[in-house]
Amino acid sequence: MFPKQNDKLQVMSHAVVGFPTLDENEKAIAGLVNSGVNLIELQVPFSDPVADGHTLVNACYDALKTGGSVRATLELCANVSKQHPDASFILMSYLNPLYRYGLEKLFRDAAAAGFKGMIIPDMPVEQFEPHMALLDELGLAPILMVTPNTPDERVARIARSARGMVYVVSRMGVTGKQTQWGDEFRAYVDRIRKHTDLPLAIGFGVRSADDLKALTGTAEVAAFCSKYIEWQREDGSDVAAQKMRALITDAELA
Amino acid sequence: MIRSENGYFGEFGGRYVPEILLPALTELETMFHELRDDPTFWQEYVDLCQEFSGRPTPLTPLHRLSKQLGGAQIWLKREDLNHSGAHKINNVLGQGLLVKRMGKKRIIAETGAGQHGLATAIMAARMGLQATIYMGADDIERQYSNVFWMRQLGSEVVGVTTGARTLKEALDEALRDWAASVETTHYVLGTACGPAPFPELVTYFQSVISQEIREQAMKQMGRLPDEVVACVGGGSNALGAFSAFIDDKDVALVGVEAGGLSHKKGEHSIRMLPDTAEPGIAQGYKTLFLQDEDGQLGDTHSIAAGLDYVGVSPILAHLSQTGRVTPESATDVEVTEAFSLLMKTEGIIPALESSHGLAGGFKRAKSMRPDQHIVINLSGRGDKDIFNIARAFPQQEWSEFLMREAARCQQLVNDAAKENN
Repeated sequence: MFPKQNDKLQVMSHAVVGFPTLDENEKAIAGLVNSGVNLIELQVPFSDPVADGHTLVNACYDALKTGGSVRATLELCANVSKQHPDASFILMSYLNPLYRYGLEKLFRDAAAAGFKGMIIPDMPVEQFEPHMALLDELGLAPILMVTPNTPDERVARIARSARGMVYVVSRMGVTGKQTQWGDEFRAYVDRIRKHTDLPLAIGFGVRSADDLKALTGTAEVAAFCSKYIEWQREDGSDVAAQKMRALITDAELA
Repeated sequence: MIRSENGYFGEFGGRYVPEILLPALTELETMFHELRDDPTFWQEYVDLCQEFSGRPTPLTPLHRLSKQLGGAQIWLKREDLNHSGAHKINNVLGQGLLVKRMGKKRIIAETGAGQHGLATAIMAARMGLQATIYMGADDIERQYSNVFWMRQLGSEVVGVTTGARTLKEALDEALRDWAASVETTHYVLGTACGPAPFPELVTYFQSVISQEIREQAMKQMGRLPDEVVACVGGGSNALGAFSAFIDDKDVALVGVEAGGLSHKKGEHSIRMLPDTAEPGIAQGYKTLFLQDEDGQLGDTHSIAAGLDYVGVSPILAHLSQTGRVTPESATDVEVTEAFSLLMKTEGIIPALESSHGLAGGFKRAKSMRPDQHIVINLSGRGDKDIFNIARAFPQQEWSEFLMREAARCQQLVNDAAKENN
């Protein structure tokens, strides 16, 4: 399940469904779980992923060619959530594939497949609000994003519908580039804490053990995604899992 | 005047963007709402269009061609006579006034045919702004002359090599840039698409076209036209030509989409006809998108880079569903025929994008009576298409010239390199 506020930092990582292949996704996820990762996003590949940098954009294009889709994502989750009962799987998708599937049906099928939460970067809180009763009934947490330029009143509105954890986008821009973790960043995190008791997941720009050390004590979750997908592309899923284990050890999170 | 309901037009429109872009869109919307009902702001805009782009553009009667086709009297609204050669400059000049008020120093834009990029580069040079233009790598090859001019004007042109390497990917990449730069940068969106308030804002500036057509028609025809026809890519020139006639139920409004090679998947860019596009939510807004079962946006084709787009303005999606706008399409072949016909009969060189409007308009004119009037919006001029037209009408003479010219250019590059060593 999701961590509680003030729990020790844990790493969240990522799979793009169909990248490099659907079969390899299961192996890669087993590798992540064995390395100590218990929060894993399963990303539905999309033709136009506007919040992602080039690593995930390219992984999406490749994944679409190997059969990545909403249905494949639900099937994958049904399998891996059985194989790894201690891990929590989070559906990550842009809105259109889910909209085409039918949002209500998707929510029900995602919960049935074992998903615990959802990250949908182009679905603003206003669009989630009408579905909150159903999502609470299903126990499917909308993990909503806040960004450095989100005004306080909007953070408050987002916090009201957020469940599980709040995804704190660390900086301006898209995924896959470095972030500076200075005083400004910590003030930003403090600002978000004023609006929510949920644990915070920091995403965008978490790329090394030093980043994880910098976030230890500041947040409960760090999303280590683009860099892991780069490892997967360059070295294959087995080596990527070894690197993940080494990362967690180096960051003193083992 | 076309107005949204909280950013929606029927079921289409809205604002489906990453959280990071919301503050800038809200700021833009607030500013737009304050300015759009202010007659002094509209006057400031019209004056700028006059002194910099030569507006009002003429409404030209096509006497010879109308007679030859034997139907309605055909008139062209001459957006090709704008500075930069297309209607795109209207929207860009308008957004330039907003940028000045916001105090931002950098602008970005997406471009398909390069006309919007060129207009943006012109505005950036005139206002002393830094500009980055995103353009699909394949579109760069198709419209290199515009790329050449954008760079000469001092803009950075970034080729986008992901996906189908056309307008859709350029728009994605502009949104990514904006997510990182939104506090200092304005995104000059070039068409009536994207997240609110862009569809409404771009339509507002482009509506200068139909306001002029109304006035000119009353003077030159003595009444309103029976039909107004425009090509539809994203939809900005069509909405510009239609918007002042929305409430005139006797004026038919016809949007001509790119029929490409065939109605087969991936071989056209038709979104408003049955069995083509379906409702979807992407690139920040809800509209009719060409897409597959899984909601992946599809590939498109058109001879005209400016119409080669997977979505359509949410305003046009709505108006085509209510029946106010009649959707039509023209194939690549019909388009080159209409292009030739206008050029040879009336001495006007149209853009390939606008030639879709011509093909659709000529077809309709033939079935109309000689006492009826049809206005076709000639959204841009065809100089930029010299390479594409040369390809459509292959000639030995042209390819021989290109080889001689390429050799001369290479020689100059070599000489310059030698001097620098």
